[in-house]
This record gives sequence, C-alpha cells and structure tokens, in this order.
Amino acid sequence: MTNGIKRFAKLSAAAIAAAMMMTAVPASADLVIYSGQHKSATIAMLEAFTEETGIKVNTREGSSNELAHQIVEEGKRSPADIIYTEESTPLIMLANKGLLEPISQAALDNIPKEYRAEDGSWVGLLARSRVLAYNKNMITEKELPTSVLDLVKPEWKNKFAFVKTSGAFQVQLSAMIKLEGRDAAKAWLEGLKKNGKVYRHNKAALDAVERGDIAFAMINNYYWDKMAREVGVDNLNSRLYFMGTHDLGDLVTVSGAAILKTSKNKEEAQAFMEFATGEKGQAILTEMSAQYPMNPKVGTKGLKPFSELTPPNGTLDLGEYSDGKAAIELLQEVGLL
Amino acid sequence: MLAVLLLAALSSLPVLYVILRAQDAGWAYSAELLLRPRIFELLVNTLKLAAGATLLSCLIGVTTAWLVERSDLSYRKVWNAIVTLPFAVPAFISAYSWISVFPRLEGFYGAVLVLTFSNFPLVHLPVAAALRGMDPALEETSRSLGFGRIATFFKVVLPQLKVAILGGGILIALHMLAEFGALSFLNYETFTTAIFDQYYVAFNSAAAAMMTLVLLLLCMGMLFLEFLIRGRGYYATERKGSPGEIELVALGKWKPVALLFLVLLTIMAAGAPLGIITYWLLVGSSAALDLPDLLNTLQITLSFGLGGSVLAVIFALPLVFLAVRYQGKFATLADRIPYFIHSLPGIVVGLTLVFFAVRYAFVLYQTVPLLLIGYAMLFLPMAQSAIRAALVQVSRQLEEVALSLGKNALSVFMRITLPLIAPGVGAGLALVFLQIMKELTATLLLRPSGVDTLATKVWELTDNAQYAASAPYAAALILISGLPVYLLTMRSFTRSSKREKVFDG
Repeated sequence: MTNGIKRFAKLSAAAIAAAMMMTAVPASADLVIYSGQHKSATIAMLEAFTEETGIKVNTREGSSNELAHQIVEEGKRSPADIIYTEESTPLIMLANKGLLEPISQAALDNIPKEYRAEDGSWVGLLARSRVLAYNKNMITEKELPTSVLDLVKPEWKNKFAFVKTSGAFQVQLSAMIKLEGRDAAKAWLEGLKKNGKVYRHNKAALDAVERGDIAFAMINNYYWDKMAREVGVDNLNSRLYFMGTHDLGDLVTVSGAAILKTSKNKEEAQAFMEFATGEKGQAILTEMSAQYPMNPKVGTKGLKPFSELTPPNGTLDLGEYSDGKAAIELLQEVGLL
Repeated sequence: MLAVLLLAALSSLPVLYVILRAQDAGWAYSAELLLRPRIFELLVNTLKLAAGATLLSCLIGVTTAWLVERSDLSYRKVWNAIVTLPFAVPAFISAYSWISVFPRLEGFYGAVLVLTFSNFPLVHLPVAAALRGMDPALEETSRSLGFGRIATFFKVVLPQLKVAILGGGILIALHMLAEFGALSFLNYETFTTAIFDQYYVAFNSAAAAMMTLVLLLLCMGMLFLEFLIRGRGYYATERKGSPGEIELVALGKWKPVALLFLVLLTIMAAGAPLGIITYWLLVGSSAALDLPDLLNTLQITLSFGLGGSVLAVIFALPLVFLAVRYQGKFATLADRIPYFIHSLPGIVVGLTLVFFAVRYAFVLYQTVPLLLIGYAMLFLPMAQSAIRAALVQVSRQLEEVALSLGKNALSVFMRITLPLIAPGVGAGLALVFLQIMKELTATLLLRPSGVDTLATKVWELTDNAQYAASAPYAAALILISGLPVYLLTMRSFTRSSKREKVFDG
C-alpha cells in the first residue's frame, strides 16, 4: 500500500530538489549589500572591489527607503551587512535606531566631515543637486521660477512635474519642514499636488520634459547629465536650471553607505567602505552615474563644478527631520501616498 | 486533511496580516489611515478602471465572438485564433511596449485601452464557446414568430450568453484589481499601485495594510458575485437535444466594416506590442546583449516555474479530491478559499509572507522555498481546475471495485485515480508554470538576494527607461510564457467544443 505513496513522495521530492538545484542562486557571498543606488554604477564598483580584494558580494536591489525599513523589520537577524542608499535619510533613520556599526577611521578620513555622520555611523559617497530640467522650446531660463516655493502659485498650474516616491524629493520636503515649518511645508505640498503632474520615476519625468509633454520637472542633476553624455547636449531639447540663490530647489542630497551592527562580516564590510570612499571606487561611481564624488581627490567631468553649487543654508544636517519620517507622514496626510 | 488545514491556514494569512499590522500601529491610527480621502480617491480610481476595462472588453469580446461564430466572414477559424493572440503578451509587457513608443497613452483612457486589448479574449473565448453550443432551434422559433435578426439577438441570443459574458467580465474586473506592472507604466493609480508605493517608501507599513484591507474586501465582493452567477447559471448552458445547422448571418455591405474592425483590433492588441518589442530588439545594438546573463536569468525563471508548479499540484490534489469525492461543506469551502488568494495582487501575498517569515519562520526568509510557497498560493486554482476537470471524468466504480478488493483509500488513489487523472495534472503543472514565468511583485519581495527572473529583469530595466536593453528579456518572456499560454488556451477551448460534438452525435 505504501508503495504508491512512497513513489509519489519520492517523485515530488525529486522534482522540488531538482528545481532547487537548478536555481542558480549565487554561491555563498562574503558580503550582502542592500543597495538602493543605481544598479549599473554600483555593480561596476563592486566588480572592481571583488577583483581587488577577492571578497565576493551579493546585492539586493530595491528603493533606499524600502530597504532601510526592511532592515528594521528584519531586526537582529537581517541578512544585510551593508546598506547603500540614494539619500542619507534612510541611513540616519537606521542610526537613530542604533542599528549601525561605526565605520573605520581609514574610510571616514577619505570624506570631508560635513558629508558623514559625526559618530561615524554612516559615510557619504556621492552627492547630487536637485534641479529643474526644462524644455528649452517651451520655456526660457528667464521665465523659470526663482524659487521652488513659487511653484504653488496659479501661474505654474500644469507646467511642471514631480516624483512623489523619489527619495530626493522627500529629502527636499524634509528640508522644507526644517526651514519653513510643518504647516508651511504642508501648504507647499498641497500646492504641488494641485499644480504639478505626478510621475512615478525621475527618468519618466525627464523624458516627458524632453518630449515636450510638460515644460519642466523637479529631478536630480545626474539623470540629465547622464543623458547628455550619452546623446550629446546639442541633440537634447531639455536643459538643467539651477536657481543659484541658495533656494530649496538647489538642495544637495548625499548618498551614502553604512555597516549594520548585526553584520557577521564586519572586516569585509570595513574593507568595502575603504574601497568605496577611496579614489578608485569613487572614480568608478562618478564616471558611471554622473553624480558628485564625496572624496575631494576625485574630479568630475562635464558636471557643473561642485564648488559652484548653491544649496540652501542649514540643510546639510536636517536635525530631527533627517530621518525622513515627517516627510512621509506629510505625503500621506496630503493624500499623495 | 492535513494538507487542507495547512492550506486554510495559509489562506487566512493575508487577513491575519492586516489585523496584526493594524494592531501594531494602534487601532485609532489604523482607522485614521483607512478613512482618509486618499482611500476614497483610490477606490474611485480602481472601480473606474475595473468598470471601464470590463465593459469595453465585453463589447469587443461579444462582437468578435459573434463575428467568428455567426457571421459569414471568410477564414473564421483563422480569425478566431488571431483574435486571441493578445494572450501571448503579458499585460505589463504590452503596456511598456506601448508607453515606450506612445508615452502620451498614460492615464485613465490609456489604461482602459491597453488593458482591454490584453484582456478581452477572456470574454471572447467563453462567449464564442457559448454561441457554438447554443441550440439554434430557439433562434429559429424567434425568427418564425416574426422577430427580426436584431430583435432575436437581443431577446434570445444575448440572454443565453449572460453567464459567459458575466463570467469573463468578472475575471477581467478581478485582473484590474490585481494589475500592477501595466498600470505603473501607464501612470494610473489603483489600490495595487498605491500599495506598491507604500512598499517603495516604507517597505511594509500600516498604511499599506489598510489599503490591503479595502482590496481584500473588493476581491471578496467580486468573488461572491462570481459565486452567485456560477451557482445560478452553469447548468443552464448545458445543451440538451441535438442542434441543427446554425444559419450564418450574411454581413453584406457591413463585411468591409467588420473586416476593418478585426484588422484594426489585431494590430492594436497583438501587432503593436509584438512589433514594438521586435523594434527594440533590432535597434538594441546600443545596449549590448548580455547572453550569459539572459541564459542565467532564463534558467532561474524556469527552475522557479518547475518548483512552484509541482508544489501547487501537490497542494491541489487533496483539495480537489475532497471536493469532488466527499462533497461536504468543509470540502467545498477548502476548495474555494484558494480562489480568494488567487484574486489578490502578488504584492499582497508577498508582503504577507515576508511579514510572517520575519516574525515566525526566519529560516525561510529570502529563500527559494518561501518564494515557491508564494507561487503555489497565488496560482493554486489553476492546478485545481485542471485536475478537477480530469477527476470528474474518472468513474467512481473503478475506485469502488479496488476498495472492495481490500485496498485502502490512499493506495487506490495512487494506483487507480492518479494515473487516470495524469493529463489533468499535467495541464495543471503547465498552467501554473506559465503563470509563474510572468509573476512580478511577489517575486520582487520574496526572492533571494541577487536573484532575477525574466519578469523582474524587464521591470528593473524598463524602470530606468532602458527599453532596448530590456527587449531580449521581454522577448524571452513572451516565447516561454506567452506563446505556450496562448496555445494551451486555444487547445482547451477547441477541444471542449469537439467533445460536445461527440456527445451530441
């Protein structure tokens, strides 16, 4: 009687086992990195890192906020050794919860003080500027607003786009809360919701500007810089606009990385930090992503020089709003999320 | 029995997840999240899309079915095959191909249009089958009583098609509730895309759980509606007596119009997406094809499909057996629960499993087995229906004879029943396998780190508007999932019509 069952059980077990074996899950890696940064640049840097150190890396891709909250949910048993995010907000959120391990001095020394945590819990790797990308056939630089705060005025209705799920946009919102207060920030967000068109991705918003579907969009500089590198500026309908007045619209956001306290591979993780902040790692990241390197020894090609950027004062450290929580709550309150 | 209990437990997980999340966040705060205007706005959006796409699909589906079955159009068999071609292109690939060339298609109208194009065959197929199976005597009687063709269609034919239309329509409406990828490209918000946004900014938040709650209720409502219709209608469509020759309607001067309609429909629904993917494949020189990566991704996708479909069939066998052989209330309920899970978006099943794995089964977290369990949960009903179709044809007497010879029930099942239902099991495996190939959101959440399937790869690349680079993965996906799905559906529908003819003969 048991013959049939045995055969059935054996067959099913064999099929599942075969499925498992066929699954080419990457062989055990030495480091697991949760990465919210753009994949191509990250992968290029990681390949160079593995080549130099022999340390094998496995990445889990996702959005920065998603991955940081995932680590919180995973708690002590998180498989992540390192988290690498597009903005510093998710890192600060994790640092506030005491989940981060101090980074080695050798890595920290590569990066100026203002772009890393005081206690060494995270370190900035890349920076980028918020900008307006505009279609030069639809609007001139002179006609563009001199402050993003003006976008809530009626004359800008249906003229611009923004990306509500973008981490950098949320940092901009956090900065607004810090600079102008929560009520003013809420009114501003409501105005944006009323006047602006929402896109789901920065690249989609930029493409819409390039096509002439909308006059301008609030994005990060590198989306356009990367496109300009690939097709040539002369072939583009869009241009970048920096307000140049220390306005919220020129906010600089810092992308960084941190080591998890629960990591079981801290030595390898520290080696990664040293490589990523070092000249080689920084050069690859800059070259591949058109963002600004945080290591001052590495130069930028074709970007508006970092020293000429005019971010709003007092926004490098967003204090109690730096974990981004207030911004997300506001987005929910206004009904954008 | 154990399997049934396990399944019932798995099925109640999404509900439990919502409750636990709400409790974590505090009941008052959860209620606040649930009762905000945003939820109402999403509700309107979701229902608007479901209504729009379902109605348009029904209109198109009934028209095509009538043309293919009842008009004097030439090459009707060929047209029948062509009209169902959209099945070969997963909706999110079809949407991304449209958007990559016509970005202005975004928004409500674009969403209704693109999703109608990929879903209307779900109405066409059952309606065509119903038209084929209809007793022409009824129509003849109506005509002989002096009613014109048009009056006869509305008074006699259409009422008989009601069940087929409603059945297909509800299926489409359910798809609209669960659709994510296509709507993301089309920039249209529903509960499912909003849940994904929540996941994107906060991984697994109370706000997402509250949106999930509304979605659960919507799906339950839809399934209840389906249950009502099935309960009332199915037997009425079973044909008694022998049909005479069905008289075809001469289209006359309308023939060119009908042809133009079919040609345009084919171009829009199947030609455009397939053509655009081919275009991106050809211009893809800018994005060098990474063949090893493509093959590796393909291998992973296939292995997930294999494991997930085997697991689904293992779950489905006892369920179907219980429901067919011991038609108790409990068995019926256990048989129906998977349909509820099936109606949920992948992201909901993904969030639920992540939630419970992190808390209570961390060894499973981010592993292939958990992903396979997710697949089995999502696609169980496809295995169930395929196996049920085979099992109801197995004569009970055979089993009873074996039982009377002293074999016990399990052994009888293994040695008599299982071999007899092997074709059904095979069909179930194939159907689940093909669904897994194109699954996106549950895979994104549950997969092990560093693992991509064809669908996640297409998603990731198109997310950055790298259309040319994504084309090989999209083409591979169509080849291994779309085309087989298409062939399978066509085969099952033409076969069932043949069987009817044999019975009638």
